[in-house]
Amino acid sequence: MKLSQIFRSKTGNRHMQFKMGIISSMLFIASLLLLPLLGNKYHLHIAILSMIYIYPALGLNLIFGYTGMLSLAQGAFFGVGAYTTALLAIHYGWPFWLTFVSSGVFCAVISLLLAIPALRLRSYSFVMCTLGLVVIGEAVSKNWVSLTRGDMGISGVPRPVLSLWGPGFVVSQVVHYYYFVLMFAILGVFLFYWVVSSPAGRCMRAIRDEETLAESQGVYVWAYKLNIFALSAIYAGLGGSIYVLYMTIVSPLIFQMYHTLLFLIIVFAGGAGTVGGVVLGAFLFVAIPETLRITPDLRMIIYGLLFIFLAFRMPNGLGPFLVRIGESFFSSQPKR
Amino acid sequence: MNDLIIQQIANGIIIGFAYAMASVGLTMIFGVLRAINFAHGEYFMCGAFASWAVIHYFQLPYIISIPVSIIISAGIAVIISRIVMEPLVDAPFSTAVLATLGVYLILQNTTRLLFGGTYKFFSGGWLEMLTIMGVTIIEQRMVLIIITVAIFLFLEWMIRRTRIGKAMRAVAQNHEACIIVGINIELVTRFTFCLGVLLAALAGVLMSPIIVTIYPTMGEGMTFKAFAITVIGGMGNVRGTFLSAIFIGIVECFVAGFLGLQFREAVGFVALIIVLMWRPYGLFTLKGRF
Repeated sequence: MKLSQIFRSKTGNRHMQFKMGIISSMLFIASLLLLPLLGNKYHLHIAILSMIYIYPALGLNLIFGYTGMLSLAQGAFFGVGAYTTALLAIHYGWPFWLTFVSSGVFCAVISLLLAIPALRLRSYSFVMCTLGLVVIGEAVSKNWVSLTRGDMGISGVPRPVLSLWGPGFVVSQVVHYYYFVLMFAILGVFLFYWVVSSPAGRCMRAIRDEETLAESQGVYVWAYKLNIFALSAIYAGLGGSIYVLYMTIVSPLIFQMYHTLLFLIIVFAGGAGTVGGVVLGAFLFVAIPETLRITPDLRMIIYGLLFIFLAFRMPNGLGPFLVRIGESFFSSQPKR
Repeated sequence: MNDLIIQQIANGIIIGFAYAMASVGLTMIFGVLRAINFAHGEYFMCGAFASWAVIHYFQLPYIISIPVSIIISAGIAVIISRIVMEPLVDAPFSTAVLATLGVYLILQNTTRLLFGGTYKFFSGGWLEMLTIMGVTIIEQRMVLIIITVAIFLFLEWMIRRTRIGKAMRAVAQNHEACIIVGINIELVTRFTFCLGVLLAALAGVLMSPIIVTIYPTMGEGMTFKAFAITVIGGMGNVRGTFLSAIFIGIVECFVAGFLGLQFREAVGFVALIIVLMWRPYGLFTLKGRF
């Protein structure tokens, strides 16, 4: 069976498909586990950033790739999660796992409130409304000075401490952070895979492909949309939480369009509606420009050209394209 | 206090006129293409920067910089129209979002690469004070009002009476029927897009002496404001855009004057969300598009 058929077939050999997915993800995880042996601190830093961005990108993938609603609010919830963790850790001294969980919970609560106006809208109005949430988030973080210290930002977020009891182990070195974030990334990706391959995931795809038909078949569209909006916000908030635990500093700059656009390009270019494509996209579009040390302006111009190219020539993203390349690489011998 | 309120309303109306001119292109291109244009504010920025460059590098007077920057923006508009906007006819809406986000990134960062990311002082315009009925207005603002009113009257006439205006309305209604009766959709799209870009650039040139400092990311804020204005006015509705721009301008001036300047940027989107909750199709859209 061809590799591309395994990845793309809907009715094909599910067992084979599953096995290929397991093998490739195992190989990928193994290579990530071994990366600290090869790379220096800078490489590890880039890899950490890529893995952090997997979280909000997966949230966007859930809401756009699987459910078909293009939401730009990921940037807003990323920032809200980051601020929640920073404030709780500094003012109340909560341990990292508690701040991590409460960022997710807080984002979920906020997103449920915001879903009331947002989910009544469709296509372009929905895009603009969710974009509005980013702008409002930025305005709040800049102007609520007594809470967020405005443009000065919050610095000195305590580093995560791993402990069951006693003093515990402080995550401070880059290598420690690498494994810390890697653990979260693996957990997030597998939870995501579990969600989208469940019956709920099938309902989501039904809503994406034909909303009216899905509703007539008994899929409760409104509840699904509400839950998915909240779940994508949770993913973004958890990503923001890990981001601030690593960076130990947060400022209103976290709400700028750069982050929103980065999540968009990871999902669109990686392949919306796939898990592996998005994970790969996070590494490709964060790691490669950082490694090549292209100046930010030029990098954004390249991103822009890439956006236009992808929109017209490759609307499915790079994922299927890479699978095709891999197929021609592996199957040099004639088939059956 | 009373004087202050009248002054704020006057300021708001003038700012609203500029917003109307900057965002009318967005609503027209939505009417024709059913695509939202994330790059629209960048043309506003391009107009301002072209004018600044002409004044700064060639020491030419402001009046000459206006036509020069319009010509430069027209060149940019034609290129982008050919490469990006015309292939968007009948494309799914997420394609339009992606492609215009790409244009936005390219324009903004090219400007930053060419001129640097710092704030620039715009030294042009007519800045003498005029006092009309107790309200003090800078001459530049009077110029802005006169030009905007002239342009909107022209747009009304063009859309209702001319051949190309009728073609635009037809394309906004039904693409297939347009092909059947022989309307060139690509041509109409190009015309609409270039007209919108020219108006945005003109708004940028005329606003620069009022906002004094210009910077490469100024277009972003303008795009967001234009989104809010066009959605509130009803997407594809030119008159609604004009009214909602003035509404947003007045609200912004009151918020800036009584709550604080820093809340100004969020006014548009807060108004947008409130209006969308109440009337998801916009305030003025009952009488059809255009």
